[in-house]
Amino acid sequence: MSAIDVKSEISGRVFEIVARPGDRLAEDDPVMILEAMKMEIAVGAPCNGVVKQILVGNEDSIAEGQVVAILEAV
Amino acid sequence: MQSGEINADVTFGERRAHVRAMGGAVKLKARRDAGVMNARERIDALCDAGSFTEIGEFAHSVRLEDAARTPADGIVTGFGKVEGRVVAVASFDLTVLGASSAQNNIRKLGFLKESASRAGAPCAFLIESAGARMPDIQGAAGMGRIGLLNSNNRDRDTPWVSAVLGPCYGMGTWYAVQSDFTSVRRDAAFSVSSPKVVSVALSQEVSPEELGGADVHAEITGFADHVGETDAECIAALRRFLSYLPSHAQEAPPLGREPVEAHDGARIAALIPQARSKVYDGRKLVELVADVGSVLPWRTRFGRTLETALARINGRSVGIVASNPMRKGGAIDGKSCDKMTEFIVLCDSFNIPMLLLADTPGFLVGLQAEHEAVAGKIMNNLRALHLASVPKIAVVVRKSYGQAYLNLGGAGADALAVMTTGEVGFVDPSVAVSVVHNRRPAPDDPAYAELMQDMVASNSPYALAGIFAAHSVIQPAETREWVANMLEVYARRPSAGVGRHRLATWPTSL
Repeated sequence: MSAIDVKSEISGRVFEIVARPGDRLAEDDPVMILEAMKMEIAVGAPCNGVVKQILVGNEDSIAEGQVVAILEAV
Repeated sequence: MQSGEINADVTFGERRAHVRAMGGAVKLKARRDAGVMNARERIDALCDAGSFTEIGEFAHSVRLEDAARTPADGIVTGFGKVEGRVVAVASFDLTVLGASSAQNNIRKLGFLKESASRAGAPCAFLIESAGARMPDIQGAAGMGRIGLLNSNNRDRDTPWVSAVLGPCYGMGTWYAVQSDFTSVRRDAAFSVSSPKVVSVALSQEVSPEELGGADVHAEITGFADHVGETDAECIAALRRFLSYLPSHAQEAPPLGREPVEAHDGARIAALIPQARSKVYDGRKLVELVADVGSVLPWRTRFGRTLETALARINGRSVGIVASNPMRKGGAIDGKSCDKMTEFIVLCDSFNIPMLLLADTPGFLVGLQAEHEAVAGKIMNNLRALHLASVPKIAVVVRKSYGQAYLNLGGAGADALAVMTTGEVGFVDPSVAVSVVHNRRPAPDDPAYAELMQDMVASNSPYALAGIFAAHSVIQPAETREWVANMLEVYARRPSAGVGRHRLATWPTSL
């Protein structure tokens, strides 16, 4: 089991956190939705895994490349 | 015959058996045990059965004392067929002195490339190499002879494809980065210098994967257009890529062999969200517009805000560039811009018509982008699109703002349609209201709502079609039909589909 960083590829504001710790996600499943470039853009799981930790909250401002959650790869 | 010169009395049969034995049974067994093909098995995997004719079979090291241990001088070359069409092939044999580059194998490669140009045949390189061979390429005489061979030129007169199937340094890397399509095995790596040289020269301790592993080239450099798990998968990708291309630049691409099947246009309408703030997967739109099962994604993990793919529409090859709103909202960053430019060069060099599907809030700007010279990338891209003489068909799917509108076909497309879901302007309407009228969004401000309504209306498809800047307004469900019609209308009949190739000498990577 290895911990995988979930990074945002764009700066924006957290609009909705979709996944919860313990959720099992497939690659590209949304972990959270950001509002950026006037759109709702999903931050997807980089690989199949189980959500270990969500590191940000609603309305938080996120920088490009920021780690927003941790997955445990399966 | 494992070392020294080859005696004059060795028979033809013994000589051929010696060459076919490559670097010897022990090394070949080690590869087999590791599940890795040898250089000749790779040729068999690439070429139609029984079609390969070897050239330079009995060449060996220029140093006669090494003749016996350098069968084919470490690189097997010749001509075979892929789906019935002639292809020049070079397969690097790591079991022979690490497939190191040396005078005679460089001459073999030079001869193969020149022959392929004359014959009008693509070149396929199946690569792994330890780099330059010492002592062959040592000192002024060694380097001077390489300079005299002057063998690294390319004019894109025929397609080149590469599979990197092991460790690869030096000359092999030059072929990988110059090819139109490069597939990399997941555990392979290629770079200019090996970790050992880097360690000595720069005191940097790095692994081959850190220097130039498949992930590095798929995501950071963009040199890997495809990553495969095995030799067979990478080589199959080369065969598939070649099926979309003509054998040379002076003919049109071949028609697909599969029966044409189209997706239901209603699925396009269902894919595209009504709400301006919602995103969708641009890859799905590419799939739905193209013939069923015909899409070959190109460079998928680099510059992901634009998808690039070869595909077929009504059986004809087409190069598709599509915004992917799922990635950064479809904003075009520097990598995506460079990727599109290289894709235009590929399509223009080999007479592949282009389809541009725009859904973008614009070029991604900001400190990082500006410092990475995005302005120059944008103009290179626009210039490439202008110079390309293949048919260029463009569709505005939803938003297409500012300079990005021009770069995605707003300027210079043969045919431009806006979907009924489309909108074109200088910036997003809400930004425009803020900038022009100095008003922020407020739910209870009727004046803001009115200004927004006016701004959205001014961005409508009919405003663009009304001044005849767009040729058509189409419903999402009729996209494929319109595109197919325009590809047929704008086929370059006077030249039998052959373009002017003004981009053929552009740099191989940007």
